[in-house]
Amino acid sequence: MPHPHRHPTLTRRRLLGSGVGGLLCLGLLSAAPGLLFSSAALASDAWQRLDAAQQVVGDASPEGDGLTLDLPHVSEDGSAVALTVGVDASLDDGDYVESIHLFAAGNPNPEIAVFHLTPLAGKPEVSTRVRLNETQEVVAVARSAEGKVWATSREVRITVSGCLMRGDDVQESLSNPRVRVPDSFSASQPGEIRTLITHPMETGLREGDDGETLPRHIIERFTVSVDGDIAFEAELHQSVSANPYLRFHLAPEASGEAVFEWHDDTGESARETRELNVS
Amino acid sequence: MSFDNTPFQPRLGVSRRQVLKGMGAASSLPLIGGFAPAFASNSDGRVVVIGGGFGGATAAKYLKRANPNLAVTLVEPARTFYTCPFSNLYLGGLREMSKIAHGYDELRDRYGVEVVHTLAQDLDPDSHTVSLANGDTLHYDKLVLSPGIDIRWNALEGYDEAAAELVPHAWKAGPQTELLRRQLEGMEDGGTFVLVAPENPFRCPPGPYERASMVAHYLSQHKPSSKVLILDAKDNFSKQGLFTSGWEQLYGDSIEWVGLSGDGRVTRVDAENREVETEFGTVHRADVLNVVPPQKAGWIAERAGVTDDSGWVPVKPETFESQQVADIYVVGDATVAAPMPKSGFCANAQAKVAAAAIVASLRGDSAPDPYWSNTCYSLIGPEYGISVAGVYRIQDGVIAEVEGSGGLSPSDASPEIRQMEAEYAVGWYNAICQDTWGTDA
Ligand SMILES: Cc1cc2nc3c(=O)[nH]c(=O)nc-3n(C[C@H](O)[C@H](O)[C@H](O)COP(=O)(O)OP(=O)(O)OC[C@H]3O[C@@H](n4cnc5c(N)ncnc54)[C@H](O)[C@@H]3O)c2cc1C
Repeated sequence: MPHPHRHPTLTRRRLLGSGVGGLLCLGLLSAAPGLLFSSAALASDAWQRLDAAQQVVGDASPEGDGLTLDLPHVSEDGSAVALTVGVDASLDDGDYVESIHLFAAGNPNPEIAVFHLTPLAGKPEVSTRVRLNETQEVVAVARSAEGKVWATSREVRITVSGCLMRGDDVQESLSNPRVRVPDSFSASQPGEIRTLITHPMETGLREGDDGETLPRHIIERFTVSVDGDIAFEAELHQSVSANPYLRFHLAPEASGEAVFEWHDDTGESARETRELNVS
Repeated sequence: MSFDNTPFQPRLGVSRRQVLKGMGAASSLPLIGGFAPAFASNSDGRVVVIGGGFGGATAAKYLKRANPNLAVTLVEPARTFYTCPFSNLYLGGLREMSKIAHGYDELRDRYGVEVVHTLAQDLDPDSHTVSLANGDTLHYDKLVLSPGIDIRWNALEGYDEAAAELVPHAWKAGPQTELLRRQLEGMEDGGTFVLVAPENPFRCPPGPYERASMVAHYLSQHKPSSKVLILDAKDNFSKQGLFTSGWEQLYGDSIEWVGLSGDGRVTRVDAENREVETEFGTVHRADVLNVVPPQKAGWIAERAGVTDDSGWVPVKPETFESQQVADIYVVGDATVAAPMPKSGFCANAQAKVAAAAIVASLRGDSAPDPYWSNTCYSLIGPEYGISVAGVYRIQDGVIAEVEGSGGLSPSDASPEIRQMEAEYAVGWYNAICQDTWGTDA
């Protein structure tokens, strides 16, 4: 399809040039022209207009059905928009969803995150919270181990309610790692895991109080292994909200130990372990 | 900063004709007093208004003011409406329930609105009829729905109608507010009041934090060793900086706020034991527990077929007519009108826009070009008020805050300014109630 009337790079330039201040400013840009997609036809191939998504899709012709992307139609706070992505298509025996890629088409850096899944991850459904600079489309692409590809998108309108204001508590990076696992699992049945950690996820695009750009400082990688085998991995980018939250699944075959690790771009990391009880 | 110290300055002298033709001064419509005195008209019609709260009562009154020859019926089960605004002051011991109570006599006697005290039970958009709980059926040319919110029972595990009798929400004013007040009175000194705050969107963004303030005020007077704990499903909230510094000044460290990233999101309520559990498994026990639960548009909106899968009502911003069903205009908390907050002030302003659009449409005219303003006052203490204000108009087909409009109270204001704002809050309350029901509290 022909490339439509918008230039992501231009938009990005304008954003950067206009000295986007604190996170609050995120939503004030929501009125940028040309970003309101209304037609369903446009929405259905939003991934085609995004180089980064196109690269993941490659030569495949992705299916739209089977991949769900849940986001509010309207969000009053662009600094943390709750998102759930999942594949509910039935797969051939032995096939499994290998990766899920998320993009924010209207953010300065469209990559949000890539989730690498394994059969140990049980159910291919992940929730997180993302930053959306302005009203835009969020794109998801998923791939299975045997090469099936899905793509979908959702438009989200960002308004910052005049009643909202950001508090700027700076806490220590990689502190307060939290993990919640089910009390027990049934063998090979997925159970829900939740994780949360304190981290500014500083985008590198924002000015501090002194007018200097705050350096980029983000968690880049999060891994989960069960008895030494990688079960779930997430590559995170600047569009993941401060204090990254991840909800996903594990389906252990037998009781064992799960290790959760967060690595940031300064080489620092945090680690938590939990016993998984299979009954 | 610009807080609005005369929020209801009447704009007399704007002629009705200008208003209805949508020229120039038409945009002053949402301002109270923007209508000229009653006049005769040929374009009669039947309008039914469902809900006698901020949006519905205002719509009924302004329809009749714009065209006394319209037949306007207001359907509202309660004979006395208790306002949520200032219900926190009742909890704080600053106001009696009778001072937040409003009736419908003025609308009936002075404006000629027919008021029917019953529930609207069902709606048929095809035949343009509403069936009422008293057995009657009403026909309408245009319908205004302002049903407010309903609680999404069980959306928060363990919080259902039975739980609300033990652990009140008090997010609709009346018996729930009185129950919460009795529980506060019964609490031992040294206890903990826990308030559970929801994620967006919900009725009155600053409401939970004003409530925490007013409860802290009450406790400081009567039970000074007690604490207030707010468990929040959000990482930031309305007027946060102002609330936080006000809390510090007035209540020291007796109010604690735990946000989403600090594991503040409650995922389960145990009403019998007054316990809540957070997303990461922390259990908090309360002496008095107040849950502000997840919400949706009042149920009648769903019956009318005007809600979308979010549970709220998408509207055409120019008129507040439903995007899904013709001739049904929806205003107030039930709508998706962000960035306008779900406030009584906004419900009132939206109702005027809908009323003007209906009057214009029944005459075959087009609706005037609207704008809206909002001011939310909150009291942190009896003499400590803060506010946020905004002006909204339509940009690129959606409601947007006018750049540079409104603003917040200054963070470094003097005690005199805080006190003045507390007084303005009272002035605001009196003015909006006069404008909505024609009554003093
Ligand atoms: C604690 C608290 C403090 C607040 N403080 C402020 C403040 O300071 N300033 C401010 O601007 N706003 C404030 N608000 C918000 C304000 O209360 C709401 O935004 C406002 O009430 C919305 O008006 P509405 O018309 O949409 O709904 P409501 O005012 O709730 O009116 C809805 C009415 O519809 C009726 N109804 C529902 N279903 C039916 C049916 N099927 N048939 C007939 N009638 C029906 C109900 O009985 C009710 O009377 C506060 C809210 C809370 C909870």
